[in-house]
Amino acid sequence: MQNAKDSFYMALRTRLAALNPERTILLRGAVRPGILAEEAEAPFGLLPNDVFVLRWLGLGVDFDLGSTMAAEQCEVIYQTCGSQSFGGLDRGRALSEMDEELTAMVQPFWTPKLNYTATPPAEMLTNVFWDEPGFGPIVTQRDLLSRSAKVMVYSYQEQGE
Amino acid sequence: MTATWFSAPAPVARRVRGYFAPVNRAAQTPVIFDPAEQGNFSLNAPPAPWISLGWIQGFTRKAESKTAAVMTGIPASPLEQVRETLEAQVSLEFLSWTKLTMALATGSQHMNVLAAASGATAAADGATAATAVTVQSGSTATFVALASADAATFSAGSIIALDVDYTGQTGFVGSPVSGAYVRTALTDVDYIRRVTFNVALVSAVATTGTTGLTLAEALPGGAPAAGAKLQAVTGFVDREGGSFYQEWSALFVMEGSQGERIFFHYPRLQTMASAQEAALPLDSKQKTGLARVLLKGNFLALPVTDPLDGERVVCYRSFLPAAKALV
Repeated sequence: MQNAKDSFYMALRTRLAALNPERTILLRGAVRPGILAEEAEAPFGLLPNDVFVLRWLGLGVDFDLGSTMAAEQCEVIYQTCGSQSFGGLDRGRALSEMDEELTAMVQPFWTPKLNYTATPPAEMLTNVFWDEPGFGPIVTQRDLLSRSAKVMVYSYQEQGE
Repeated sequence: MTATWFSAPAPVARRVRGYFAPVNRAAQTPVIFDPAEQGNFSLNAPPAPWISLGWIQGFTRKAESKTAAVMTGIPASPLEQVRETLEAQVSLEFLSWTKLTMALATGSQHMNVLAAASGATAAADGATAATAVTVQSGSTATFVALASADAATFSAGSIIALDVDYTGQTGFVGSPVSGAYVRTALTDVDYIRRVTFNVALVSAVATTGTTGLTLAEALPGGAPAAGAKLQAVTGFVDREGGSFYQEWSALFVMEGSQGERIFFHYPRLQTMASAQEAALPLDSKQKTGLARVLLKGNFLALPVTDPLDGERVVCYRSFLPAAKALV
């Protein structure tokens, strides 16, 4: 299942870098596309702004198939205060921009499954695929706007997983 | 150990894509889909002459073929089975309203509402049309050459219908798709342009230099034929009633999550129901609010004779497995 999670994250990260190269984050001394897997970073006191944070939630497994299918729920959380140059008055637009980027990032709704523990990553036999994201309402905390979207990510377990 | 194959469960598909191609009604020749040669086509760019109608929903196919047992002996017991009838039906909902989806979802002719001549008497399917303009040589599927004065009568955003004049012929009319069957000669010189599928949106007008209309989409009939004329279209109209049945070759594709594909190829599909719409609420919790209006299509599959072995069939179902999946 870790390969599916890694592949999903890397697919979104690659697509985001192409969609909006300017959305970046300085993390552990490196500038990276503005998307991260929460469980693979040091714990955050506060989630970073203007960045997509992937948080893995539920897990379901269907054994009654030729290959076992795993379904993992991923929550994508993002928030913004807008830009300093506009005094934060563009925070609604900034959140809409992130909505649009996430909508574009999840398409197409599949990506090849790769094993990222190998160097270079080894392509596996199956694809990881997912459903349309379910967007939650905007949450307002003073000048901070945030939203989360939930995506169900599916994959088949392969030999050795 | 490196795995080189996997056991693929049942395909998981998102939606169904629909493609249609015109049957040559006069020659009764359907369009054939070959899964061996065309199975890997890009779903956004189907091979000619297939036309993508985008995503469809509610795709349901129902086999109405009946079999019966030949009984023998005392007491009677089945000796063998025979197929008594061969019939299949397909129903679906189109997620867009276009000339083609409207035509497919109606049980009779589908007509273009031609821009009316000044002062023309009102008519339910469009008044007498403004005079057609003649297409000049040098036209292509995406550019219609016109005299400068004729081009100036159109503007970007106009819809045009392009076909030949009606001159009293009977039988199937319209190119490249038969839009109607004329039993007795008519008097409307614009009749073929009323029923033609050769319509497109104008994206730009040039009245100097190479004068004519640039089209936002290619004409279904390709470069205009000699003698073709052009008229502006303001909309589309179809009628409840009539005796003409649309007939198309159809291809439905389900693409699975692992890249596998299921094709349903109906060489001959005829509309079997009158125009119907379905309202789909945008918010399932507010059923009286905004609703998307979908075109409902119901089709009867007609048989073709498979040249492979002479069997009469109505549908081909093909499956292209995922790469490296056990078969």
